[in-house]
Amino acid sequence: MASSYSNYTNSPCAACKFLRRRCTSDCVFAPYFPPEEPTKFANVHRIFGASNVSKILHEVAPHQREDTVNSLAYEAEARLKDPVYGCVGAISVLQRQVLKLQRELEETNADIMRYASSLGSETTSTYGRHRS
Amino acid sequence: MSKIKTIHNPIGSLERFFDLLLISLIVYMTLKGGTSGACAACKYQRRRCAADCPLAPYFPAEQPKLFQNVHRLFGVRSIVKILENLDEVQRPEAMKSIIFQSYVRDRNPVHGCLGITQQLQYMIWLAEEELKAVNSQLQLYRNGQNHANPNNMMIHEIGEKHEDLTSQLDLGMGLPVNNNNQGNIIPFFSQVSEAQLQPQMSYCNESNNNDYNPSPDSSKEILNNHNASLAWGQNQFPYNHHNYGFINQNEHCSETKNNNSVMAIQSQLVNLQMASNQQEEEVDVDQNYDEIHQFLEIIDESHSFTETKEVYASSSGESLKEPIDEIGEKELRRAATCFSLTSVN
Repeated sequence: MASSYSNYTNSPCAACKFLRRRCTSDCVFAPYFPPEEPTKFANVHRIFGASNVSKILHEVAPHQREDTVNSLAYEAEARLKDPVYGCVGAISVLQRQVLKLQRELEETNADIMRYASSLGSETTSTYGRHRS
Repeated sequence: MSKIKTIHNPIGSLERFFDLLLISLIVYMTLKGGTSGACAACKYQRRRCAADCPLAPYFPAEQPKLFQNVHRLFGVRSIVKILENLDEVQRPEAMKSIIFQSYVRDRNPVHGCLGITQQLQYMIWLAEEELKAVNSQLQLYRNGQNHANPNNMMIHEIGEKHEDLTSQLDLGMGLPVNNNNQGNIIPFFSQVSEAQLQPQMSYCNESNNNDYNPSPDSSKEILNNHNASLAWGQNQFPYNHHNYGFINQNEHCSETKNNNSVMAIQSQLVNLQMASNQQEEEVDVDQNYDEIHQFLEIIDESHSFTETKEVYASSSGESLKEPIDEIGEKELRRAATCFSLTSVN
């Protein structure tokens, strides 16, 4: 009996625990949903569904799956916190900040141009006086 | 003539009856959402689109890809559950955000909206650094006007700035520089037209019109918890090569606080603009995404940054020093021209 379970002497992953199924050695969720973080999978399952997540993971390369899971977990948590806008609300906040900074930069650059042109005109007038 | 007409009338009326029946059947099916009037959701699921179909208002039949993206990411049951828990006023906004999120996930299956968020955070950081540098430059100009012998002080400070730049490049922050014809480095954001950024504002404005705003508190909470969520896994996002990881963002900003990296930052931004312009030409405009197309031009520009950064991530500092030196020298010469003549007095 011990030999049959030798492949997964560790406890089942959070996904298989949640879904109450056997966590096999080729479980696609196991590397990314450790049993110590049950809420991570619970959130993702609640918003996206386990089968959708599984399909998405199979579509991406294995070395990208961890990033994919983390981004899905982030989006799921954001959607649970804000059911209307989810993570898109944060994007809109950031874009407003970008706009604000853009305006500030434009104003500051305009100030610099004004100073530079006034310095240039002073230099020209000084040079003209010196030559004469 | 009338007898002939009388003989043919029954057959003609029958034909006319069948024609009318056919026409009424077509009209009935169209009105009731038959095979030609079903929403994209019902078409995809191959079922009859009822008059009270909850998804019909959000998924027109002409844009099937919208629903396909949503179905792939969320699933029908999840969306219906989300909609059921919301008020009537909130549902259109929720669906817009869901459609957008699904579209972004379709375009970027690995990072999705989190990639956009991080790119925007990085752009904000870059812009803040540029603003600091530009403000310090402005301060130099102001000091130059107020002090008696500004030329010596300013040239000295510009020299310090030049040293700081080369130290920044050693850390791998710099990117190859592309000057425009005028020799001035135009900041990235001044080249981005407001029209491109406006649609995002309209997205928010529409929410205002519906008397429901994305609460800044929840969005900020999401951003604050974003760092916590990244702690779930390793921070593997591509632009962390130079310690721009957003968990350490604040620390990094304080490190660069004293570095006047005007040239490096502006060169990065100019490069980003050039890369994004190229990217824009290559992107196909999909007719199915009319509503979110303009907003997504911003995403395209942001998305191209990742590719740009990866290309330059491994560039050595030495190859970058020369172009930066040229600019530093140009600035020095310009400053010298401005002030050397006044020093004759």
